[in-house]
Amino acid sequence: MTVVDNTLIIIALLPFIGALVPGIMIRAGRNASAFFTAVPTALALTMLLLHAPAVLSGEVITAEIEWLPQLGLTAAFFLDGLGLMFAAMILGVGLLITLYARFYLSGDDPMGQFYTYLLLFQGAMLGIVLSDNILLLLIFWELTSLSSFLLIGYWKHLPEGRQGARMALAVTGAGGLAMIGGMLILGNIVGSYNLSDILASGEAIRASEWYLPALILILLGAFTKSAQFPFHFWLPHAMAAPTPVSAYLHSATMVKAGVFLMARMWPALAGTDAWFYIVTGVGLITMILGALIALFKDDLKALLAYSTVSHLGLLTMLLGFGTPIAAVAAVFHILNHLTFKAALFMTAGIIDHEAHTRDIKRLGGLRKLMPVTFIIGTFAALSMAGIPLFNGFLSKEMMLEEAAHTDWAGNPYAVPILATIGALLSVAYSFRFIVHVFFGPVRDNYPSKPHDPPFGMWAAPALLVLAVVLIGLMPHLAEPVVRAAAGAVTGGVLPEFHLKIWHGVTPALYMSGVAVLGGAILLTLHAPLDRLWLRTPRPEAKVIFDRLMAAAVGLSRRITEITHDGSMSRYLAIFVAATTVMGYVAWSGSGLPLPSRELLPIPPLVFVGWICILLATVSVALMHRQRFRALVVIGVIGLTISVGFVYLSAPDLALTQISVETVTIMLLLLALHFLPKTTPIESSVPRRIRDGVIALAAGGGVAALSYTFLLRDMPSISEYHLANSYKGGGGTNVVNVILVDFRGYDTYGEIIVLGIAGLIIFALMEALLNGPAARKLRNADYSQDRSRDRHPLMMVIATRVMMPVAIMVGVYIFLRGHNQPGGGFVAGLVISIALLMQYMASGFAWTLRRQQIEYHSMIGSGVVIAGLTGAGAWLGGKPFLTSGFDYFHIPPIEEFELATAMLFDLGVFLAVLGAVMLMLYSLSRIARYAGETVNIEPMDYDPSKQVVMDEKEK
Amino acid sequence: MTEADLNTILPEIVLSLYAIAALLVAVYSGKDKLAGPLIWITAALMAVLAAWIGFAEPGTHLAFGGMFVDDGFARFAKVVILVSAASVLLMSRDYMMRRGMLKFEYPVLVSLSAVGMMMMVSAGDLMALYMGLELQSLALYVVAAMRRDSLRSTEAGLKYFVLGALSSGLLLYGASLVYGYAGTTLFSGIIDAAGEGQTPIGLLIGLVFVMSGLAFKISAVPFHMWTPDVYEGSPTPVTAFFATAPKMAAMGLFARVLFDAFGGVTQDWSQVLALLSLLSMFLGAIAGVGQTDIKRLMAYSSIAHMGYALMGLAAGTAFGVQAMLVYMAIYVTMSVGTFAFILTMERDGEPVTDMRALNQYAKAEPGRALAMLVLLFSLAGVPPMVGFFGKLYVLRAAYEGGLAWLAIAGVIASVIGAFYYLRIVYYMYFGEEGETLDRGRTSMPWVFLMGSAAVMLLGIFNLFGVEGAAITAAAALVN
Repeated sequence: MTVVDNTLIIIALLPFIGALVPGIMIRAGRNASAFFTAVPTALALTMLLLHAPAVLSGEVITAEIEWLPQLGLTAAFFLDGLGLMFAAMILGVGLLITLYARFYLSGDDPMGQFYTYLLLFQGAMLGIVLSDNILLLLIFWELTSLSSFLLIGYWKHLPEGRQGARMALAVTGAGGLAMIGGMLILGNIVGSYNLSDILASGEAIRASEWYLPALILILLGAFTKSAQFPFHFWLPHAMAAPTPVSAYLHSATMVKAGVFLMARMWPALAGTDAWFYIVTGVGLITMILGALIALFKDDLKALLAYSTVSHLGLLTMLLGFGTPIAAVAAVFHILNHLTFKAALFMTAGIIDHEAHTRDIKRLGGLRKLMPVTFIIGTFAALSMAGIPLFNGFLSKEMMLEEAAHTDWAGNPYAVPILATIGALLSVAYSFRFIVHVFFGPVRDNYPSKPHDPPFGMWAAPALLVLAVVLIGLMPHLAEPVVRAAAGAVTGGVLPEFHLKIWHGVTPALYMSGVAVLGGAILLTLHAPLDRLWLRTPRPEAKVIFDRLMAAAVGLSRRITEITHDGSMSRYLAIFVAATTVMGYVAWSGSGLPLPSRELLPIPPLVFVGWICILLATVSVALMHRQRFRALVVIGVIGLTISVGFVYLSAPDLALTQISVETVTIMLLLLALHFLPKTTPIESSVPRRIRDGVIALAAGGGVAALSYTFLLRDMPSISEYHLANSYKGGGGTNVVNVILVDFRGYDTYGEIIVLGIAGLIIFALMEALLNGPAARKLRNADYSQDRSRDRHPLMMVIATRVMMPVAIMVGVYIFLRGHNQPGGGFVAGLVISIALLMQYMASGFAWTLRRQQIEYHSMIGSGVVIAGLTGAGAWLGGKPFLTSGFDYFHIPPIEEFELATAMLFDLGVFLAVLGAVMLMLYSLSRIARYAGETVNIEPMDYDPSKQVVMDEKEK
Repeated sequence: MTEADLNTILPEIVLSLYAIAALLVAVYSGKDKLAGPLIWITAALMAVLAAWIGFAEPGTHLAFGGMFVDDGFARFAKVVILVSAASVLLMSRDYMMRRGMLKFEYPVLVSLSAVGMMMMVSAGDLMALYMGLELQSLALYVVAAMRRDSLRSTEAGLKYFVLGALSSGLLLYGASLVYGYAGTTLFSGIIDAAGEGQTPIGLLIGLVFVMSGLAFKISAVPFHMWTPDVYEGSPTPVTAFFATAPKMAAMGLFARVLFDAFGGVTQDWSQVLALLSLLSMFLGAIAGVGQTDIKRLMAYSSIAHMGYALMGLAAGTAFGVQAMLVYMAIYVTMSVGTFAFILTMERDGEPVTDMRALNQYAKAEPGRALAMLVLLFSLAGVPPMVGFFGKLYVLRAAYEGGLAWLAIAGVIASVIGAFYYLRIVYYMYFGEEGETLDRGRTSMPWVFLMGSAAVMLLGIFNLFGVEGAAITAAAALVN
């Protein structure tokens, strides 16, 4: 039966809305803060209880609004028996804690902040138990981590709280994130993120192959939250928080969230072997371990914390059994544990508040000094021990009864015996709480004289103890709630059961008796056992946690140091290696077609060229430390490649390659003069071997790739260009037409880049020569190894003779460029080389005086001419840089063709020439700073005058 | 070149012209004195452009024969890019001014790189792709090395440049292979050539090289090595810029290439992306654990976050693209806030980046600490902060795209990664007593820190409608 009622959303949101108020009211005093915290809580509780009759009669109340439907996220809430019980617990205890905290916290503590966090937390918890959407549940789940962090961190001045808060956050936060994964899987198996749908498809989930990962991830979330082994260690360390927080979070609510989740997911996940062995096993271990540690803790709150761990283990174990009646017991025990444990925490808080210590060794004899506290504490502790007439007894009996019927991998005794041991230890520490704190002689050395607190402080625990006794005496009062909640856990099917004190003589009664007796005996032996316990080396979870953290940090550092040591060569190595591997994977997995071309015989010329390149390449790698030689060899490689272009019928490419090669090598040679002549050795032999291997792999990969492609016929783009270059561009040389027409933009961009490069070299040089580098240059000694005859006669003569020839060649190449190899680019380079040689032969100053055009304006005008030519196409209504061409016939000359592309080439020519010359100019300026003397005459040694010019100048 | 073409790229033209004009005006007049006002003007212009693009009429417009695509996807990415670039500019003004780092070139370079980024996300052609990418990168190389007197800054810039040049080379090599075997540089042509089913090997190898070039730009493992060094070495405002707009742009470009040009052969790249994503998430999470420098930590954090965003792409579905976009929008917002905080970290006026300096910060500055806490939780992907929704999106996308193993791995990595975010929170709230940071002044960074934190909280209602925009954007890309 489902009823839609949107007040449910209001209930869920009330604490959040209420959370705004105390924060604002921070100055209004603590009564006002407490009051405004209580109001929304009470309001929500009232609205909730109004729904109670309907829910107890089996109805389910739902409410839903769209949120982020794309994500499968709806703000859907539902209220069934389980939700009702938890919600009532959360709000009810919330009210009591509000009251208690009002008296507990001192006036110095910022109350408004505390209550805001408390309401936030309460809202988050309420959200968990009411969510009908697992994503929504996740959100509230992590919100509890966050708000509990704020609450635990509330007392910032306590140093011991720091570690605890961090651990709590790290453990529960991580668990929650793991749970996200589990929930996603679950949602995907079912196809819906709605809890109702998921709970209804338990069969499908358990049959899915993803069941186990989902189960483990979700249980990780639940176990971390509920402090189950091996994550049990964080809870006791979170106890540095103020007691109201501990009482609320660590007894009633947050730690129960894990148990709640297991109960909620019970119909979907329980009933498999994996569930039984994981959940029961973890629960059992936690129960015994927690109880054992609790027995030997001297800090009251630590004792209670470990006892909470133990009881949570008990609950987990019960849920793990997977039988409906065990679920009933679990639900009942959740309720009972809440009542007595919250009361006990508050009692501990009262003792701490009054006596100013929580150390059991320094307490004792409080029975006479704090009679009210004594009664409350004792009743609650007796319930915890499971003594008849208190509610703890009832649920413990049911637990033992269930344990007695449980087989563990075919062994019928393991579970009952271990459960009895757990119960026995629980009795022991409960008795210890009573005996060591309240009984014994009154001491005279309490840090502060204890007495009963004001009514407001003990009212809350008293109320809880009243519930302990009432349920203990009249269990049928709790029956409808337990029935409704357990019904929700099991999915409606419940066996016949009744909550009553006397079940007759059952195995559980024997076990209980053994536990009580054994517990009492254990307590009398406590002193020697304690000494033994202290002597026994045992793993301290916190130490292990810290070590694990330290180890993780160390490991991470090492990984980072290895991969990110700041070394460029390592980065490059990783980069290249990764790309090579990726390329190899793509290559090997692509299913290549078989080779479709025959291998051709190797002509001797090609073979020689090939060997030449190979040798030169190896030489560069071997000789790169001697920079001059390496540069020469690089020049060899470039020239060989140019020859290769010629051989492969691409003379235009060859021409460009040769001229570019010459210019760059010459400029580099000039620049090398100012740099160290050798590269120092910095890398070790293994590293060079590593680099060699990577380089070979990458180079081999590229070679293999080319080889593969050459052997196969693949569709390619060359046909298109061959077909269109004459038709569309007016030229037969494909590459040239591409350069000028098809990719006119490219060339245009290129000359701009070249021009800018020239200008930047100039600008950098200016900056350099005005900065500290200039001083360094002046002081450097470049005079050694200098030839006495820097401008030899032969060279001067030769270059001057060559000059007109070279210019002719340049003009020729320029003019025939459009249809034949050549063009403005190469022409510019050829003339640059001619001029470069003048500079090298006769010195810079001499040549500069004969220069007519400034280089800057040469670059500028080149770019402008090229640009205007391109823009001229607009006049003809054509796109930018479209070439127009026509044939002209002026009588004495044969018919010839003129294209606007030629004008464009002129621009290219000028820009290239200007840029190269500007670079040279910059280099020579640097040279003069470095102490190069300037010659006025073209030659250092003029044979007609028989003197050395340079010397004369000095 | 028609008027329609020019109209389509009008925002880019406006920004480029503005950058050129600003450069010229500043060179010939006040120089660095103009830097302060220029930052304001640049930011304002970017905001106006973002609004213009954001409210432009929907639909897809092609310009220059398909080389430039203006569709929902591009507009989404451009708005994120422009808004984050403007935010970073504004919040770094004060920081740079007080340290004498504010050069007038800075806003100009940022504008130019923003133009490059806008080109990248609109690229419909290999040429446009490369042009945008290089325009962006070249500006970034320069700003990374902007503090010429600082050894670390110049080292950062140089490393970034050398590695970036290598990645550009790879990308070009790949692009030329793609061109050679597809016969066109247009994405719309490549997708036809690649076809469905078996991709020609030339294209496949080309794709691999293009992908490794792009992976470098988004700093996906194993092409991420520059990130920690550059993040740490660059001036903090520059790092903040690196962590925001360029990431969105590179991710957008990645998505463009994969879906527009290779959308028919999802199976060929999905696994590679999944691997990149896996490695990034884990390396980012594991290596972050050992860091003490908060900028370096943010570098690893960004590597991990890129891993998650890639997870969305790896799914190869429209929902995956949508998830990636939502994730990136959220990530960029978080980064802006976090870096706004890092910008204010100083002691005696000197910037501090050691996170241990945050000890007990919450005591002195509860408001800022709380905002940072919200951001860090959001970065860690802890619900209910908005960061969680981003993670949820990509995890779902991966799961539904058949990459369940990747989703699970993502969850595990996020658990590891949570450790270091929470550690900062721990320092702020529970750290040891020690030297504290200077009291923050209320300024631009404060506005962005608080704004970003508020978004992380208030966004949980409807993610500020970014979902709807992302759906439209993803639909425009994947069809």
